[in-house]
Amino acid sequence: MQKRIILPALVGALLVGACGGRQAQQTGPTPEELAAQARADSIEAARRAEEERRRLEEERRRAEEEARRRAEEEARRAREILAEMVHFDFDKFDIRPSDQETLRRKAMVLRANPDVRVRIVGHADERGSDEYNLALGLRRANAVRDFLVSLGLDASRFETASMGEEQPLVRESNEEAWAMNRRAEFHVTAGQVARTGM
Amino acid sequence: MQTHRLSLLLLLVLATPLAAQQDTTRLPTGVRLGMIYQTLRRPSLAVRAFTSAGDAELAAQVGEIIRRDLDYSDRFEMFEVPPQLASGPVDYATWNGLNVVYVLDGAVEPLEDGSHLLRLTLHDVVYGVVKEIQAFRIPPPTDSDHRMAVHAAADEVVRWATGQPGMAASRILFVSQAPDGSRDLMVVDSDGENVRRVARVDGVLMSPSWSPDGRRVVYAVGRDDGSWDVIELDLERGAERRISTRRGLNTTPVYSPDGERIMLAVENGRDLDLFEIELATGQSRLVRGGPGADLSPTYSPDGRQIAFNSDRIGQPHIYVMPAQGGEAVLLSPYTYGEPGHYAAPDWSPETSFVAFHGRSRGQHQIMVADAARPGSTVQQITQEGRNEDPSWAPDGRHIVFLSVRPSGSGLYVIDAASGRTRPLVLGGRFRTPDWSPTLKRASALTVRGE
Repeated sequence: MQKRIILPALVGALLVGACGGRQAQQTGPTPEELAAQARADSIEAARRAEEERRRLEEERRRAEEEARRRAEEEARRAREILAEMVHFDFDKFDIRPSDQETLRRKAMVLRANPDVRVRIVGHADERGSDEYNLALGLRRANAVRDFLVSLGLDASRFETASMGEEQPLVRESNEEAWAMNRRAEFHVTAGQVARTGM
Repeated sequence: MQTHRLSLLLLLVLATPLAAQQDTTRLPTGVRLGMIYQTLRRPSLAVRAFTSAGDAELAAQVGEIIRRDLDYSDRFEMFEVPPQLASGPVDYATWNGLNVVYVLDGAVEPLEDGSHLLRLTLHDVVYGVVKEIQAFRIPPPTDSDHRMAVHAAADEVVRWATGQPGMAASRILFVSQAPDGSRDLMVVDSDGENVRRVARVDGVLMSPSWSPDGRRVVYAVGRDDGSWDVIELDLERGAERRISTRRGLNTTPVYSPDGERIMLAVENGRDLDLFEIELATGQSRLVRGGPGADLSPTYSPDGRQIAFNSDRIGQPHIYVMPAQGGEAVLLSPYTYGEPGHYAAPDWSPETSFVAFHGRSRGQHQIMVADAARPGSTVQQITQEGRNEDPSWAPDGRHIVFLSVRPSGSGLYVIDAASGRTRPLVLGGRFRTPDWSPTLKRASALTVRGE
């Protein structure tokens, strides 16, 4: 670093010296001229130093931006994992094998974000008694909570609720809609979801 | 009706061989298609044109309300009165020749205070006598009590003829989901008229239930954050009060027959348990705890027993037990290894029959079981479409239920004795209907017996 600034100054000084050597006996640079030259050189050096400082600053800012972007991306991904619903078979409240993987990913997120608390809300499809569907939704939410607790998470981090058949995702009356509506949803009630834990 | 009966029998015969082959198309074991009573042929009743001393239009309106109430009572075969027999003295021989058993005459006279006197005369054609004459005060048509007073008079006619109560002077509460997602508590008269809103909530409104005196209703309100309240609403004063606000689910409240207690399902530990709250003191008592969700309690008419819904054995079933607590006896059909789903019980206010819905051939249908004889055959009384959430009328004979069917979805009323079904309110997103007790008893102004 230091070299780059000094080198042009040296070259300049040599050139001045060479000329000076030849012309020394004749005219030669006056002390005023030498002083002006030195002043110009130092201004140039300062300008370059400032440029370099700005470039470094920019680099640091970019790196920070990148880190923030990555953190945001990770937080977004972590929130996505936490929000992912699990679904249930008709009239059932046991966790499907395919959903166990989903819940394991959630458990990793929850372990990596120990302040986060979650409300698990169970839902049912429109068939059957409105009243029993509330109980079924609660059963589903509890089954999900139990599974997460079995993975080593503290039960106090979860609350469970049921909306029965009152809040369908898909307002239609067919098998696909019913399958979508038999679900557990996850809502973060406290803490910041930052890390995926992966 | 006769052909309807035959087709029911035919279906029953068809269902049996299918049962062994395909799980989804069979009737559950222990369920039989059909109605719950052995019915006699209904007596023929003629309602003649009501006469008036002044307001002929009002007389015609009152006559039409009463004629329809008597038709909806499902106790009579309604006789189409030919014009030549619509007025004049009742000639018993002529009516007897037409196989008519009862002839009803009505007369409407104005009173000084703007209300009217309705005089009803029931002729017993078979014995050739006037069975009953009574007069009732009917408030003016502008009065909100007008129709109810006419319904109460119609119920008296049912009582004169059959000795049993009618159900015209009653209403049905139900929940309607508005397009904006809010829930309205609605009420409709037993004949489908006079639909109106009594409450609106932003969250979920569920399981409304009438007090025995018909003046209050209790219901559950749920919110997005998972909190639930049970709220009692005074229908006359519009005043609300919170009955239960325990953490988690508070739902399916119902009044005891004496109106002094409310039983409900409350989230307790891992699931729902039944609690009874003394209204005077606010004290609550655990009626049934333990594993499994216990909910939807319904008292027997004497208040000593309850039927309720529980999924303790892994699938929802209907049980009966003492209201004080004790051993629960299974009422809905259960066969080891077969899927079963029975829910939403409602105990008849007059008999030992409990109505509920159960899955049959992949659809929910209304069923009726006798709580006095657990383990006996359960009757499936609906077949068309998907039918849920039954509630008995005060006559212990009619049932209102929720139906999704091709001919129109909404609330329907079925006569459990004959299977005759009529739409009550169609077109909306309705749930959890509850039929009121008798809301008005007609008091006769003058009585003159037979």
